[in-house]
Amino acid sequence: MLEVRQLNKIYPGGIHALKDVTFTVEEGEFLVLIGLSGSGKSTLLRCINRLVEPTSGQVIWNGVDITAASPAELRHIRRQIGMIFQQFNLVKRLPVITNVLTGRLGYVSPWRSLFNYWTPEERRMAMQNLERVGIADQAWKRADELSGGQQQRVAIARALMQNPKLILADEPVASLDPATSHSVMKYILELNRRDGITVICSLHFLSLARQYGTRIIALRDGHIVFDGKPEEIDDRRFKEIYGEDAVEVEIR
Amino acid sequence: MNNQSGPSIQRPFSPVRFVRNLAVAILAVVVYVYGWQVTEINLQTLVQGVGDIRPLVEDLLNPQVFERDKQVVRLRVPFPIPCPPDYVPQPATYKGARMDIEPACGEAEEVVVTLRNGRPNTLARVRWGFPIGTDQIVTQAATDDQGNLRVRFQRPEPALGGLEGEHRVEITMEWEEGPLRISDTLKTVVDKMVETVFLALMATTFGVIFALPVSFLGARNLMTTTLWGTVTYYLVRLVFNILRSVETLIWAVIFVVWVGIGPFAGVMALTVHSIAALAKLYSEAIESIDPGPIEAITATGASRLQTVIYAVIPQVIPPFIAFTIYRWDINVRMSTVVGLVGGGGIGYILIQYINLLQYRQAAVAMWAIVIVVSAMDYLSGYIRERVV
Ligand SMILES: Nc1ncnc2c1ncn2[C@@H]1O[C@H](COP(=O)(O)OP(=O)(O)OP(=O)(O)O)[C@@H](O)[C@H]1O
Ligand SMILES: [Mg+2]
Repeated sequence: MLEVRQLNKIYPGGIHALKDVTFTVEEGEFLVLIGLSGSGKSTLLRCINRLVEPTSGQVIWNGVDITAASPAELRHIRRQIGMIFQQFNLVKRLPVITNVLTGRLGYVSPWRSLFNYWTPEERRMAMQNLERVGIADQAWKRADELSGGQQQRVAIARALMQNPKLILADEPVASLDPATSHSVMKYILELNRRDGITVICSLHFLSLARQYGTRIIALRDGHIVFDGKPEEIDDRRFKEIYGEDAVEVEIR
Repeated sequence: MNNQSGPSIQRPFSPVRFVRNLAVAILAVVVYVYGWQVTEINLQTLVQGVGDIRPLVEDLLNPQVFERDKQVVRLRVPFPIPCPPDYVPQPATYKGARMDIEPACGEAEEVVVTLRNGRPNTLARVRWGFPIGTDQIVTQAATDDQGNLRVRFQRPEPALGGLEGEHRVEITMEWEEGPLRISDTLKTVVDKMVETVFLALMATTFGVIFALPVSFLGARNLMTTTLWGTVTYYLVRLVFNILRSVETLIWAVIFVVWVGIGPFAGVMALTVHSIAALAKLYSEAIESIDPGPIEAITATGASRLQTVIYAVIPQVIPPFIAFTIYRWDINVRMSTVVGLVGGGGIGYILIQYINLLQYRQAAVAMWAIVIVVSAMDYLSGYIRERVV
């Protein structure tokens, strides 16, 4: 459903963050991106929905070339692709429910947004999605009053408002403690298993990647250095990805 | 001899650096000597002038806030020179008071004026009026407990015109009477102060209304994503900077010519400067927001306008309020001075009082400015604390 071809990204500073990255994602996959800090994981994820403009290459989404899409087409594609961030990226001063509703903006006319008007239908949908992530009771709190784990669940609810076919998650649990990490990862896994949403998720810890991923792609200096099943990563491959000095740690 | 091992602890001497430093030092001396001369700095006058400002300071410390009704009694007798034949002196009377003069006419060297039954213990001024209409004060003295007065003085010579003709001698007594009441000055000042505060309010409001939309066009992070955006951004920034580099007082002069003397000119002057200053501050507030929410909301497929509404505006509300209050503060201050060049408000009457040397009246205006400006300062500080 998603095909990345010969993708390159060179930042204005001259940093070559992605080098000929090519891979294909099938519907229903839980693809985990791993790699050291600076290896290009965030850049790759942002090139898929063009938050970052790729320098060359193509991203094909169900037969449509995202990299060639007009602004209107791009918005149309983006609303089918949810995104979750390490820093949650909620609008801190707005209530939780409004943050969730913003996930629906791609479906709403800009004139309606001018008056912050949401239909009862949309409000019900927002409450349902908050219930799904277990924080419906926090709906009217300001977003920054919530704990990190709760905020990430709000972000998941926001992505769900898009009725996404794909979710891009950029280190969704890197700011959370291990226990909370697992609870957030379980919600994402559930979207994958129950709703059949394809997930591309970058993770720092290989142990998490093994636990949740159906497939792992490893980046090193903008190259793909591994693409395969989690159990195929042995000691030798691990050192290829993370360098000679690395040791694997487990988080439970 | 181990000073060859390792670098010297002293910086090595360099002739180029020495010459350069010397040149900088000489240049600095030249600049300041010239500056001292061209600005006519003169510490001597600073010391000598202290005596001259004392009455001014006294008046300033004694603002004319209250006053009593003023009473004036004026008695006048004619004094013909030379004496007409059979001249009968004509004493003046007013409410029981009587003024005599001796001699009553002729080229006498000395003249004696007497006043009976005047107001006790009141200063009386004696004026001599010449035939051509000019007059001068010849003496002054206070009446005694009975209200009597007797003074002798030299008959003045007229500076212009001939001696012959009908001269006049006049006694004037002035005193204040009745209960203290609020002075007319204070009423005028309060009136103008209200005008001043509203001048600031209108200018700040107009400033906000116009600055709000353009500030988004002047925010680098929102605009420089597209070519046209970048062009707009630089144009808007250029206009802000030009508008801002012209001081409010100069705008006031321009608008006084444009719309005439009065508060409207002041409102326009403050508005123009406020738009430019606020737009710049607002733009900077927009530029310093967290880009995360913008990314997140853009990723949902939201349009630019929607992204601004949901990701930018909520973040910039607190700094916008803070900057607006700050601007309001400045505008209150500036509105007290735009009047100096005809822009209405308190400054307009202050400069008039000063030009007429009415320092006690000017003092009322100055104190009003001090009180209102510090009150607004306090108020805005309080609001800022509450909101942000
Ligand atoms: N906006 C940018 N401008 C210039 N260079 C950038 C920018 N964003 C990222 N880079 C550079 O691109 C390279 C890849 O960065 P990227 O953020 O994609 O890595 P990452 O794998 O997500 O790392 P991390 O684990 O630290 O998030 C890095 O060298 C980084 O310095
Ligand atoms: Mg990253």
